[in-house]
Amino acid sequence: MIITLDINGKTERAECAPGEMLTEVLRRLGHVEVKKGCDTGNCGACTVLLDGKPILSCSFLAVRAEGHAITTIQGVEHEAKEFAKFLTAEGADQCGFCAPGFALTVLAMKKELTDPSEADIRHYLAGNLCRCTGYEGQIRAIKKYLEAENA
Amino acid sequence: MEIQEYVRPKTLDEAYQLIVQKRGTPLGGTAWLRTYAKNLPLAIDLAGLGLEYIREAHDSIEIGAMTTYRELETSMLLESRFGPLFKKCLGHIVGVQLRNIATVGGTVAGRYGFSDLNTTLCALGAKVVLVPGKVIDLAEFIMGGVSGPFLIEKIIIPAYAKASYQQMRISATDFPILNVAAAWTGTEWRIAVGARPAASHMCPKAMALLGHSASLSDETISRAAQTAADELQCGSDIRASAEYRKAILPALVRRALMEVRA
Repeated sequence: MIITLDINGKTERAECAPGEMLTEVLRRLGHVEVKKGCDTGNCGACTVLLDGKPILSCSFLAVRAEGHAITTIQGVEHEAKEFAKFLTAEGADQCGFCAPGFALTVLAMKKELTDPSEADIRHYLAGNLCRCTGYEGQIRAIKKYLEAENA
Repeated sequence: MEIQEYVRPKTLDEAYQLIVQKRGTPLGGTAWLRTYAKNLPLAIDLAGLGLEYIREAHDSIEIGAMTTYRELETSMLLESRFGPLFKKCLGHIVGVQLRNIATVGGTVAGRYGFSDLNTTLCALGAKVVLVPGKVIDLAEFIMGGVSGPFLIEKIIIPAYAKASYQQMRISATDFPILNVAAAWTGTEWRIAVGARPAASHMCPKAMALLGHSASLSDETISRAAQTAADELQCGSDIRASAEYRKAILPALVRRALMEVRA
């Protein structure tokens, strides 16, 4: 079947099977910034925003995304680059595989939560697994990023 | 899992007819769909039918079948009536991204053993409203299901209840080893236990022991907690043995009852 998707503000058409998940279709369209991690709904690497809300694209049917605004990390490039400066400064990024999904969740959290505590941040980010950093650097980076954004 | 044909009906009645006449399978949140072993000849997408709501209706609250976990977790209405109950019950489940997908209807329909939400809803005395208009007690639905094809429209819970949710997990965001919810509805005490690892089950003997008064003594709570453990069966799986579940069950029931009493 042919579906029409709104990806980062642009309309794209794709042929897909009815049971295909969004990750597969996005990557086939060239959006390889959407990472295929565990592919079982656990790691958060495949996170995209659907109408501004973070979802697991590996567990969401591509056909169901029709009529909704899909945002990958490329769609928020400017904000992501700003956040990346803080990650780099804190040594909070290593292999980078989890970074696109992780950064999207952070940006969604920034819009959804007002003045989150460290516990709020850890809770909101619980669905984004990172096997390199041990999370401490990421938490420092997020707190400093939010402080700078709210200054 | 493969879907042969996908349909997005425009009305609930159309969806129901496709399920009954063409043996279509309704799609809830699809969070667990990829783990589904069978192929689906016909998938009926319930998105777009207006089943995403949490609203007051007389002396109850109605929750549409396509309402997500995250919507329950962040609902001001639910928080005003039940305190942090839904935050506590749902906040341990994977991450925000999954909770923005998973729906109450899909969870109820799946009758999943690991479900934290079903245990909590059972304790609240939730009812399941099926199209066209049949109402069934959630605890009964989880135990016996319904014969033949069905479509869930909404879940109904009382407008007020004092309730507590308790759980044990090996690690954060994992499936629970055991979960317990207890509630005082104003007229009765209700206790549900799930992830045994079988699905949520009420504890009628323990509930009868608690009687119909809001005040409970420590001794009564302890006796009810042990009664709940004695009357329920537990099993073993990769996460815990039946013996371990039996051992922690009274502690979780006791904590839940004490929290509600307070």
